[in-house]
Amino acid sequence: MHIPDGLIANNMGFSTAIIMWIISVSILALSWRRAKSTYTRSITALLAISSAFVFAAQMINFPIIFGTSGHLVGGTFLAVLLGPYAAMLSMTIVLSMQALFFGDGGIVAFGMNLFNMAIIGGLSFYLIKLLTRKSNSDKWFASSVFISSWASVMIGATIASFEVAPAFSGGIAVTLPAMLFFHAIIGLGEGAITTLLVTSVQRFNPAIMGGLTLLKERRNL
Amino acid sequence: MKKYIAAMVLLIVFLVIFVPLASSNPDGLEKVAQNFGANEQETMWTGLITDYSIPFIHNSYVSTLLAGIFGTTMVLIFAFLLGKILVPKKQSGKTP
Repeated sequence: MHIPDGLIANNMGFSTAIIMWIISVSILALSWRRAKSTYTRSITALLAISSAFVFAAQMINFPIIFGTSGHLVGGTFLAVLLGPYAAMLSMTIVLSMQALFFGDGGIVAFGMNLFNMAIIGGLSFYLIKLLTRKSNSDKWFASSVFISSWASVMIGATIASFEVAPAFSGGIAVTLPAMLFFHAIIGLGEGAITTLLVTSVQRFNPAIMGGLTLLKERRNL
Repeated sequence: MKKYIAAMVLLIVFLVIFVPLASSNPDGLEKVAQNFGANEQETMWTGLITDYSIPFIHNSYVSTLLAGIFGTTMVLIFAFLLGKILVPKKQSGKTP
């Protein structure tokens, strides 16, 4: 879902890219402030290791249909581990390294990619929170993680469709259905991997689930 | 320090196993761009290690693997620094 600069076409695409830069940086500045006041214990090790894992995992594309592939984004996974704000910052590091070193996602388009993956990924935390408001059972929690990670991919893909539309002669009428079609399937992979990871961490070492603690504490986030 | 080295070792093992299994098919967005004839622009920046392959290493597995290890290490370092700045020591209770 990483938008390359090659797909930023004409004035419309370029202005959208600039606006997304401004929106994303503003939201990240806010999440930086909230993150600073949220954590009372060091999250350094968890933050470093989970971010590194998400980078590695994003390199592994899994095949879907019609000669197409997808890979984990990992935003929801990070949100469950770290909470929404640190997850956004963590994903920002992953996306920066990809864009700077590997040309994976553009520089002009970076604000878009930040929004579609880092910010939407972090915000999926609130969807889990909403879904688990009534029931706290492990099974429903796992289902909520699945639904939220699938939704985070679909929402990211929807916004990406609008952002790249200027580069297509058919515009949004072409990009939206095609993006949603592929990402509905890629999202299933995201949901399956995220749920597997979260339930494993929950079983293996629940103490490190900082985001989960925030969820359970019902703190006003 | 120990846990970061342990994590890096595990992540390298992860990459060694999964890099050759990764699909090289275009991803969802690339496929849409190909299928519907996107009007692709010139790009000014394609990265130092474009498309996760180190130019002077010709074995594509080794090339991608090393690119992956490099990227993973960079993310680990920057996220570590972020964590250090985010929660200053005096707040952090016991140091890990």
